[in-house]
Amino acid sequence: MKRFFAIIESPYLRALLIGFIVLSFQTTLFNTLRPFSVVMQVMLLCSAASGVAAGSESGAIAGFMFGFMYDMVLTSPFGLSALVFGFAGYMAGGVNTFAYSPRWWFKMLSVGISSFAAVLIYPAASLVVGVDGLLQTRVIGVALTVGLFNAAFALPAFFMMRWALVKSKKQLLWAE
Amino acid sequence: MVLLLTSVLLLTLDRSDSGLVGGVKDAFGVVFRPVESFANVISRPLSNVWRGVVDYSDMRKENLALKDLLVKQEGAAIAATASVREAQELLALNGLPTLAGIDSVTAQVVGQSPSNFTQTFELNRGKSSGIRVGMTVTNGAGLVGKITGVTLERSVVMLATDPQYAMSVKVGACTRPNTTTTAAPSSSTTLAPSGPSTGDTMAPGDGSTTPVLTVPPTTTSTTSTTTTTTVLQRATTTTIKGFTPFATTLPPVPGGGFASQITVPETGVLLPRETGAMEGQGIDRLPVIRFIQTSARLGELCAGVPVVTAGCSQSLAPADLVVGTVARVITRSGTSGPLLEVELAANLQSLNFVRVLLYQPATEIPQ
Repeated sequence: MKRFFAIIESPYLRALLIGFIVLSFQTTLFNTLRPFSVVMQVMLLCSAASGVAAGSESGAIAGFMFGFMYDMVLTSPFGLSALVFGFAGYMAGGVNTFAYSPRWWFKMLSVGISSFAAVLIYPAASLVVGVDGLLQTRVIGVALTVGLFNAAFALPAFFMMRWALVKSKKQLLWAE
Repeated sequence: MVLLLTSVLLLTLDRSDSGLVGGVKDAFGVVFRPVESFANVISRPLSNVWRGVVDYSDMRKENLALKDLLVKQEGAAIAATASVREAQELLALNGLPTLAGIDSVTAQVVGQSPSNFTQTFELNRGKSSGIRVGMTVTNGAGLVGKITGVTLERSVVMLATDPQYAMSVKVGACTRPNTTTTAAPSSSTTLAPSGPSTGDTMAPGDGSTTPVLTVPPTTTSTTSTTTTTTVLQRATTTTIKGFTPFATTLPPVPGGGFASQITVPETGVLLPRETGAMEGQGIDRLPVIRFIQTSARLGELCAGVPVVTAGCSQSLAPADLVVGTVARVITRSGTSGPLLEVELAANLQSLNFVRVLLYQPATEIPQ
């Protein structure tokens, strides 16, 4: 029973459930809202926010999970989003460690930069696995838009992912 | 490092076309679909507000333009339907395959790819309706794309503008107003020695229009000891009074007072066509046709000529399916040949219902 509760309390299970809900909004609401004809990438936002909230390693794992779920609904090569989103989570955690005690704006900056980089890397990575034609000049505009959007919504995503991935002191005491 | 290796493993599994990835995606779809439907119900009001704010003025303009276009098309559609029916009857009479003989399934677009890179749509019909990977998807206007993934009740369509999309197509030479080029049978035609000369007129069967055919002095005579034959040159220019080839004015639409222009090929004249490969170029860019070779036989390539599917033995699409029209001809130096940009007939931005042609080439049908 204790093991069952431990599984339920697992940060990654929480992240998985959050990913499931976020994915459902990614394929419905955010698929409709297309400012400048660009689809907002909330799964990528959550991946980057995971890195900022829980560090590079946890960010990479959470990002990989989110990317894996995203791959399930895409027709692009399976595992490509997992790879890129994992990188985004890792990078966001890495950028965030540049500041000793990062302020709110630095968290936003970390999420924005890593999202921008991830969108640029995606077509390049797809080229490596044999899918050409995606690397166009339009990608820069898409990356900028996604980066700005993700930076703008970084703080709510950060709090959500911190709740999922970082155990509070009360939870730690209860677990003992 | 573990995550990196796992990604590489997944990519390898995906590229090796094993059924494992498809099975996992299908299972995920079964679990995810109810959640997605719930999210759709919740988010619909927000989506509608967004559309109302962003798209309202465009929608209004588009609505007015469409009404105008509809009136113009009504007359042309009647004449076109008659022509298509006649063509299908002729093809059937000669034992040739026609589009009318291909079964199809009507499906509704229920989803769109959330990615900024792939251009796919999801349909509410799948394997249970007979849909298979590779089948061609059209709408009332023309080619839309092809099926790239199928589950029991859903299928995924890759749009013709996707960079991964390719299709063999036929494109014809452009027409010249008031003049047509006719090819006479080479040496088998024997005419009277006097032949038509300048100013001679011939009235075709239709006495109501009485068009005048003028043949310039392009005939040459060769005389031998036994017979006298007149062989027409391979190309003659005809000018028909009161008749503009390839543009026929229809009678006014009752009550509308409107005359529409449709293109009607001249009797007995077939335009030369060249086959090329059409490839998608991504969002906001027109597909292009490559591997077209300019030759004297093909004639001049220009914007506006129709593009249809070639339908060769291994093509996924049947022949003569409307794709669109040539929007721009990009001439290239050397032997690379021209590049043709294609304006698709189907509007891929506003797809609702589409038709999946249950057509598979012989090479794709499992034995």
